[in-house]
Amino acid sequence: MTQFLARQVTLVWCILIFLTLVSLIATHSGMSGVLANGLILSAAFAKGHWMLMDFLKLREAPAGWTATFHVWLTLVTLAPWAIAAFPLFRG
Amino acid sequence: MNAAQDQRPWGALSDLPGHPMMWVLILTEVVTFGILLMTFAVAGAIHPAVFEAGRAQLDPVLGGINTLVLITSGWLAALAVEARTGERRKTARLLLGGVMLFGGAFIAIKVVEYIAKAQAGIGIETDTFFTLYFLITGFHLLHVLLGIVFLAVVTVSDSLENLKTGTAFWHMIDLVWIIIYPLVYLIG
Repeated sequence: MTQFLARQVTLVWCILIFLTLVSLIATHSGMSGVLANGLILSAAFAKGHWMLMDFLKLREAPAGWTATFHVWLTLVTLAPWAIAAFPLFRG
Repeated sequence: MNAAQDQRPWGALSDLPGHPMMWVLILTEVVTFGILLMTFAVAGAIHPAVFEAGRAQLDPVLGGINTLVLITSGWLAALAVEARTGERRKTARLLLGGVMLFGGAFIAIKVVEYIAKAQAGIGIETDTFFTLYFLITGFHLLHVLLGIVFLAVVTVSDSLENLKTGTAFWHMIDLVWIIIYPLVYLIG
């Protein structure tokens, strides 16, 4: 069981590294604007999700706690994107 | 106090790994950082030119390296808990030593970044962007220092409960940084 969990956190670590590199490459390739921001903040949300579930072990916690932290994660990633995109939607 | 309260004196907090008091601290910190990050996003919308110019002065590669450093430290912290669960105490202590080393590397890189800013004549009063940049990253840096102290304590007093408590705080630091990094360094 411990071996399985160690493998699971190692897999999550690989995913987190990959998503960080994707964000860095997206910025360096000159991507910008609403779509680029959306990609980078989606990667941040995904990283936060896996950290909460597999590093902080919320996968084993009651659903209420998982939901509470995901609401926070959604707010801090979605709100900056929406605020930045707002002028575009207004035209 | 009834029987149910006797068994669960911390209520719903008892369902989380580690000491419930640590989770009170973690919840307080994520709310505080949440407010700071929202403030940063709103200020960026009010002063887009100032934030674009400020962000152009940051080094996203250094910030990215620090993200990789913290993610790796979080991975080692999670492995330390798994090792301690399997009664491999020495391995757990070595892994915690690794976490603290990576924490030290994060601080060193951040100091290099701050020195570069100071040499460029940039300080906390330069503009709104840099006031919030130094406030958010400086506050986070203090948490990294505190996290290393917690990890040093649980390395010595290494019950499984203590390890879960110390590493939970470390993962919170990690979680907050993976939001700070894209918000402050990357998006615009």
